[in-house]
Amino acid sequence: MKPIFLSLAAVLSVASAAPDGKQLFTIHCTACHMLDQMVVGPSLVEIRSLYNGKPDEFVKWSIAPQKKRPGAIEMPSQAHIGEEGLRAIYAHIMDVSKGVVAKKQEQGDPFAASPTQTVRPQVQRIFMPNASPASIAVALDDMNSLCWDAGNSRLRYAWTGGFIDGFAYWKGNGSSLATVLGTVKYTEQASPFGKDAAVKFLGYKVKGGLPIFRYSVGEQIVTEAYSPVSEGMGFVRSYAVVTKVPLVLDFPAQSGVSITTDKGKLEGGKLILTPAEAAAFTLTFSLK
Amino acid sequence: MKTATFLTWITLSAVSFGWTEHFTFENIATPPGMDPQVGAMDRMPDGRLAVAFHRGEVMFYNPADGSWKLFATGLQEPLGMLAEADGSLLVMQRAELTRLKDTDGDGSADEYETVFDDFGMSGNYHEFSYGPARDAEGNLFIVLGIASNGAPMAAEIRGEFSEIGQVDFKGMTTSETWGKNRGPAGRMYARVKWRGWVLKLSPDGKTMEPYASGFRSPNGIGFDAKGRLLITDNQGDWRPTSPLYDVRQGGFYGHPASLVWKKGWNGGDPRLMDVAKLDAMQVTAAGYFPQGELANSPTWPVIIPKGAFSEGMAGQTVIGEMNQPNLVRVLDDEVDGVFQTALVPMFDGSPLGIGNNRMVFGNDGSLYVGKTALSWAGSKGMTKIKWNGKPFLSLEKIKALPKGFALRFSQPIDANTLKTLSAKRHTYEYHQGYGAPKKNEEVLKITGAKLSDDGMMVTLDVGALEEKYLHLIDMTGLLSKEGGKILGAKAWYHVVKAPK
Repeated sequence: MKPIFLSLAAVLSVASAAPDGKQLFTIHCTACHMLDQMVVGPSLVEIRSLYNGKPDEFVKWSIAPQKKRPGAIEMPSQAHIGEEGLRAIYAHIMDVSKGVVAKKQEQGDPFAASPTQTVRPQVQRIFMPNASPASIAVALDDMNSLCWDAGNSRLRYAWTGGFIDGFAYWKGNGSSLATVLGTVKYTEQASPFGKDAAVKFLGYKVKGGLPIFRYSVGEQIVTEAYSPVSEGMGFVRSYAVVTKVPLVLDFPAQSGVSITTDKGKLEGGKLILTPAEAAAFTLTFSLK
Repeated sequence: MKTATFLTWITLSAVSFGWTEHFTFENIATPPGMDPQVGAMDRMPDGRLAVAFHRGEVMFYNPADGSWKLFATGLQEPLGMLAEADGSLLVMQRAELTRLKDTDGDGSADEYETVFDDFGMSGNYHEFSYGPARDAEGNLFIVLGIASNGAPMAAEIRGEFSEIGQVDFKGMTTSETWGKNRGPAGRMYARVKWRGWVLKLSPDGKTMEPYASGFRSPNGIGFDAKGRLLITDNQGDWRPTSPLYDVRQGGFYGHPASLVWKKGWNGGDPRLMDVAKLDAMQVTAAGYFPQGELANSPTWPVIIPKGAFSEGMAGQTVIGEMNQPNLVRVLDDEVDGVFQTALVPMFDGSPLGIGNNRMVFGNDGSLYVGKTALSWAGSKGMTKIKWNGKPFLSLEKIKALPKGFALRFSQPIDANTLKTLSAKRHTYEYHQGYGAPKKNEEVLKITGAKLSDDGMMVTLDVGALEEKYLHLIDMTGLLSKEGGKILGAKAWYHVVKAPK
């Protein structure tokens, strides 16, 4: 720790009046630390319980903090405040937190029962695992959900079970991913239009709560609508593609997944359609 | 109830209750069960308010009957909204600018049209997206926040990765080694496209022009009444204190991370550049919010409409603030065509509270303040502020002079209180560190305070003004001729250009 303290001493030599701990706290700390509850960082009450009578340790930690709380952000170094300033902040924290009891933290998602969270079907943009940051989670019904990626205009995966738990994301500022509440049963490694297809996302419509995605692949305009299967588990994917040339789409076989089409033939993982067939066709993905 | 009474007592006893004699502060009930953190607001042509919440709901609030109606759901962190004449809404969310349309007329959006998404996303939590602001020609301006080294990037990103930087893609995306890479990555970084940039979009969103660079966490963008594009940013690395900018095409606004996306950039990692060189490149802030005194995290600018507040405030800009329990009013001035401002607290010491993220004026002149926290210090819900029409003393205008300032007030001043005026100034060091203390702070000697014949104008002599210094005029002791206290008692004037 010595070199840090030495460099601080150099900074301090130009400082004049005794630092005002309360003012320094307002300037440097209030965005993340509140008196009686954890915000970004621990409450002043908790800091008191950790550092009461240990000003040196408080200063050391503030100059060279480390990550210690899972799910929380590591504090940036506060070396710029200077040792004297940090000691004044320490005194202020110990003073205002004396005898204060921390508020009880709410456990779990207080808004889990919100009508907009429980409604089915549901389309929700959120950071999802194993997909780009521009992903969209879709609950088709109570059992069937999928992750559609607006970053590359394609289905990433589908799962059965519950929908998502987004609380880790929502309780903060987006520093966590949503959790899939179920078992992923189907994953697509690339766009059915090809790995290097030039796609551009155009948005989606919502009909009866279900999404109809719209995007372009080169000159072709594609709409891709999702709905749950009428029985069992899986999803129905209805396409409309405006194309002048025959369409070849890749749907590689996956164990536990049966794919049927109402137009053309799906053979060897390839679906070949005439432009007329491509104008409206539906694939049904049944999941075990 | 005990707590409430106690709080009221604190409010009444510990602070000036001046604002509450002239304004009412009313909390608006938000829809039950929903996370009530407000990310975006605008007023519809019919007077309803469109309000976007943290979990992506967009709802209409009808001030006439206090009802809420759900319009759209499932957006990701909407942080800006613009109502269109046909009733559709442009909403800026993390991944894109979206147009919400009700095409079947059932009162809820059935089309979520992607207007513009041609920018990068690293998956880092701090990459918020803000806007749009619309100019007189209908062009749309958005501004993209940069990533924080509180976390690495995601393994899968959207768009191109810039190789310019100390840490390569693997290092930037690996949690296990982030502890050693986060320092060299930079406190805030912009390794995916157009982070830290203002982008100008054609009215249809089909063409984009990179417009200005150098932004960090610009949680406020809007045009003022004179058509200037105002953007606020947050104190942090390369931001000694929170700035207010008048953004022009091609300008660089101080945070270097975004420079890696400047056309033909060959200056290497901008973070490691000579600070003096960067300083020479940057546009001086039109205003500064002193940290801990006026604002720590300023937010959205809105224009005060005629009739909403006192007459002299019509057409002025008011800005929200997350950490201090006040808003900030902008007094604009020009010296040789250079725009510069004095920033004045508004509703300080009122029941307003913190977390003031978004604002919109209702048709009746009420100001609705939408609150959020996003895990930082803040609040939630919506507060309605209404002026009761009773006039009060406030600073209405400020003009920089060769040897001081001319101050115009809303009411005649009690000449005996002029002697209570005081002035100070300081500057800041521009550096990579997080925030900066005041530098060269000095008390200014007031050598004259002359009152105009009508008592409304004070000419204050403090000697020559210093460029790039934030001049504080403290009017706390000033009274009106009728004995009224001044509301908004401090003005921080950032001198960009000193009059000769």
